[in-house]
Amino acid sequence: MEGLFFNVNNGFLEGIVRGYKAGILTQSHYASLTQCETLEDLKTQLSATDYGNFLANEASLTTTIISDRATQLLVDQFNFLRSNAVEPLSKFLDYITYSYMIDNVVLLITGTLHERDTHELLERCHPLGVFESMPALCVATNVEELYQSVLVETPLAPYFRNCLSAADLDDLNIEIIRNTIYKAYLEDFYEFVGTLGSPTSDVMRTILAFEADRRTINITINSFGTELTKEQRAKLFPAIGRLFPDGNNALAKADDIEQVRLVCENIPEYRSFFDNSPGDAQDLGDLGIAAQLEDRFFRTEVRLNKEAFLQQFQYGVFYSYVKLKEQEIRNLTWIAECIAQDARDRINDYIPIF
Amino acid sequence: MGDDYPSMFRSEPMSSVELYIPREVAHDTVTELGELGNVQFNDLNPNVNPFQRSFVGEIRRFEDMARRTRFFISQIEKEKDPIHIRPLSDSAPLITVGPRAALLGEHEARLLQMNESYKTLSERTKELIEARYVLRETAVFFDKAETQQGEVRSSFDDSSAPLLQYDDRETQHSSTLQFELEFVAGTIERSHIPTLERVLWRLLRGNLYMNHTDIAEPFVDPVTGVETRKNVFIIFAHGESILAKIRKVAESMGATLYPIDANADKRADSLREVTARLEDLQTVLYHTGLTRRSELMIIGENLSRWQDVVCKEKAIYETMNLFNYDVRRKTLVAKGWCPTRDLVIIQAALRRATEESGTNVVPILHELPTNKTPPTFVRTNKFTEGFQAIMDSYGTATYQEVNPGLFAIITFPFLFAVMFGDIGHGLIILFAALYMIANERKWARSNLGEASACGRYIIFLMGVFSLYTGLIYNDIFSLTLHLWRSGWDLVNMNGMEVGVPTGRVYPFGLDPAWRTADNSLVFSNSYKMKMSIVLGVTHMTFALCLQLPNHIRFKRPLEIYTNFIPQMIFLQSIFGYLVMCIIYKWSIDWTTRSTEPPSLLNMLIAMLLSPGKVDPATQLYPGQGFVQVILVLLAVVCVPWMLCAKPYFEWKEMQKIQGQGYVGLDHHDGLRHSTDEALENEEGGNGQAAIEQMEEEHEQHDFGDVVVHQVIHTIEYCLGCISHTASYLRLWALSLAHAQLSEVLWSMTLEGYLGMPGITGIIALALIGSLWFGATVFILCIMEGLSAFLHALRLHWVEANSKHYGGEGYPFMPLNFAKLDEKE
Repeated sequence: MEGLFFNVNNGFLEGIVRGYKAGILTQSHYASLTQCETLEDLKTQLSATDYGNFLANEASLTTTIISDRATQLLVDQFNFLRSNAVEPLSKFLDYITYSYMIDNVVLLITGTLHERDTHELLERCHPLGVFESMPALCVATNVEELYQSVLVETPLAPYFRNCLSAADLDDLNIEIIRNTIYKAYLEDFYEFVGTLGSPTSDVMRTILAFEADRRTINITINSFGTELTKEQRAKLFPAIGRLFPDGNNALAKADDIEQVRLVCENIPEYRSFFDNSPGDAQDLGDLGIAAQLEDRFFRTEVRLNKEAFLQQFQYGVFYSYVKLKEQEIRNLTWIAECIAQDARDRINDYIPIF
Repeated sequence: MGDDYPSMFRSEPMSSVELYIPREVAHDTVTELGELGNVQFNDLNPNVNPFQRSFVGEIRRFEDMARRTRFFISQIEKEKDPIHIRPLSDSAPLITVGPRAALLGEHEARLLQMNESYKTLSERTKELIEARYVLRETAVFFDKAETQQGEVRSSFDDSSAPLLQYDDRETQHSSTLQFELEFVAGTIERSHIPTLERVLWRLLRGNLYMNHTDIAEPFVDPVTGVETRKNVFIIFAHGESILAKIRKVAESMGATLYPIDANADKRADSLREVTARLEDLQTVLYHTGLTRRSELMIIGENLSRWQDVVCKEKAIYETMNLFNYDVRRKTLVAKGWCPTRDLVIIQAALRRATEESGTNVVPILHELPTNKTPPTFVRTNKFTEGFQAIMDSYGTATYQEVNPGLFAIITFPFLFAVMFGDIGHGLIILFAALYMIANERKWARSNLGEASACGRYIIFLMGVFSLYTGLIYNDIFSLTLHLWRSGWDLVNMNGMEVGVPTGRVYPFGLDPAWRTADNSLVFSNSYKMKMSIVLGVTHMTFALCLQLPNHIRFKRPLEIYTNFIPQMIFLQSIFGYLVMCIIYKWSIDWTTRSTEPPSLLNMLIAMLLSPGKVDPATQLYPGQGFVQVILVLLAVVCVPWMLCAKPYFEWKEMQKIQGQGYVGLDHHDGLRHSTDEALENEEGGNGQAAIEQMEEEHEQHDFGDVVVHQVIHTIEYCLGCISHTASYLRLWALSLAHAQLSEVLWSMTLEGYLGMPGITGIIALALIGSLWFGATVFILCIMEGLSAFLHALRLHWVEANSKHYGGEGYPFMPLNFAKLDEKE
């Protein structure tokens, strides 16, 4: 039934987004990109793809310019989708921007804390997460003020309510705030996609559940050896995901990576995250494992987002497209960075999408 | 055939050529060939990445130059007073290539520097202007506040306690010290005002008084040219920390703050100072703008020439990238196609290139024997171009195939006109086309109407033919012309007007008497329907006949016997016979016959369903039953003939080959591989690409494929004959619709107003007449014309082309500088 009326409001945009998706760089594109000698070569190669002439009028090329321009393309596309969307898709698209808003808020408070230049910080903000009163964030000195003066009128306000207790703004607290907000955001988003009904909820819940689990595992691993108590840690875990509730409880008590691995063993799909040949594990150390883990998380995310395109008549494609494109920009930046710094041996460490 | 003079009947014979070009003359050679525009170069390095080719550096240099010219153009466009860019046709040709890059770079650097200083100066001016505004506007605030202190405060009466307290404090201050309030003043973008106000209000819990006014004129960014509208604001608050907060928020929201003194005299002083400095700055700014402008004028003189050259150079190096570069021998090897006829001209161009480059090494050109299919190249002129384009958009003709574009020159406008037949409408589009043709040169110079460039001759012929068919239909804006005396006299008989033949025959076209007749529609329907069948079968027969030259040319006698002949018999025995009957029936005076005129449709159905039985009361001619049986038998025999003959002969052929001891293609492959290697050693891999392509040409001929293909072909043809004949009835339907529509338009508008007397009659006639004319042009000529155009297009593409056209070629795309602009 959902297929019957889906196209009335969303058919056009789904068509657009699937068209955009066809422009995502494929393995063969990457193969030729990685052969480039200079950034100029990269520009030549990219001009043959959907990126077209987006760098044609740049006098000098740097990695930042490439990634900025690429992000700008994504933002333009997203804004096109957003301005053509109607309820509930428009709300769904707004939800996508919330995560960028959270990042921007945290970036600004952290920056202000370290007394960085506000304008420089504003430039570094992700354009998808920009909101009107954002610049005023930099005057806030404590959480209460932050909430009362700025965030109260943003969509993030409800998420913020839970962490008003944290009084001072220091690095640890900001990190706690970030994770609390993100937890609230994920849970809210999870609930929201539930109201959209199948198949959107099916697709999105799979992706969001993984996102939640990824955060849970990351929080656990990053909290080893910090002053974060186990009770505090448990509070930061999103109450969704496939690890919830048993895995979350176990993770809250975990003390080292080995225990995290044991928890993940229970989920067949997650088993491979820690799947090392025994010789490697010693060499890498904890840091190495975390880095490798991050890489595998990205791969899984890409896989899940790709699978979202297999389903028709649902909103997951919009979320997935943004995420895939983001990954592509990360890949481009990585490749450009490798070329610029002449680190050719690591150039193939990007995450292929198609 | 046609070797002495280029024809459109078949595409040009092409030669595969190989060029050995010494490195020194390569550039000049490609330039000459590009000017000539009749050599298509093949990519000899298909496996090499675009950025690994030999001349990437040069291409990049020219891309950079192209970027510079784009930069200049954008700069010139941004200039408020338009700067004249001298068109290409007027500019002096540039001869040397070398110093241009440096020159462009110089111009760019100068311009950038000037932009930079212009920008800083403008920024300074902007700041000063803003400061002036702030000073002026705040003065207004202060004045107002001084005169209306009481009123201002009383407006706070109903607010909460802290505000009131604050207010009291303010009263004390102002009463004692004449406005010792602390404040922040500045400018901010208009759209940010509400946010700023809201954020500050929340941040300071309402402990502020903010005032703002609009600055009337917009600020224009000197670099991007974007207009921003700003507001002056002044915020009164109390306490150092609060003021600091306000400053910080305001600054982070993009506001510019200006120090303003509370003292009115000092304000007046600084206002004077600002104004003076502003004047100075504006003079400087004006002069900078002037120099910048003159620089842009110099650039504008040569810009289009530069653009042209950059474009050409890029194309040249891109072409040279397709060549095989032998570093040791310093030669480039190029392969490509060119029309055999033009070989001499190309040789001459090569010699010219050598002379120009001042060396004595001549590029060597020789023809290569090849088994690849050459590209299809049909020479067109501006008249034939449009018709050829119509056929090319269906499919490019196979190499040396009969080109339907040639025949479309006449058949296309004719079929269009059959549907569009009206003298008046024909004249309108004829004059429109003549107007376009007359202005052709003028428009071509100003690059106007490029799209309709080739269309105007199609429209011209369509107009001419519409005129012709309109004369035949005797239709002018749905009325008739009485050119000769009618063949009918109207006689009143029992209160009815009845036409009595006078014995004269109307010499050309439809007798005008038919228009007023009651049965005029019945007559014209029957006439147009039969006519469209006749035209359709003729057109299809003609298209079918075009198979023959193809089969003869490509030496496929088998196709003639197994496809062409049975197809022809099938078509003629049923539909050709129908056409004969139609003409025969027309030529008989049925009033003198004893038999009734037969319905030809029923006759055709009966012929197929119950062959041999003809009702003698409605028979067309004696012996009709027997003739029809023979014809049906012929048609029936043709089906298995088409179905089986070709596969059978193919099978026999294969048996014969196998009988002679050849086994498959694997045997050949081994041989070829060894020659491949030999070749590779010899040429250093130069020829490999060509050989690989050759192998692709070899298709596996499978017996199964032949059978399936033939079955499909037969079914398609037999069904197609019926449906295509029916499809030609659209000629009737559209011409009928056109005639009826124009008649309705006439009777609804103009007819009633024609005889009106007096001045009102003239006014009404003028009004309705223009309405009628507008509707005629837009509905009948443009809309109906478009629909007739599309139907004519379909008749050519589907009904005619399916009879003979292969359309499996690929177009000839030579390097041609003249066409570079179109690609951009």
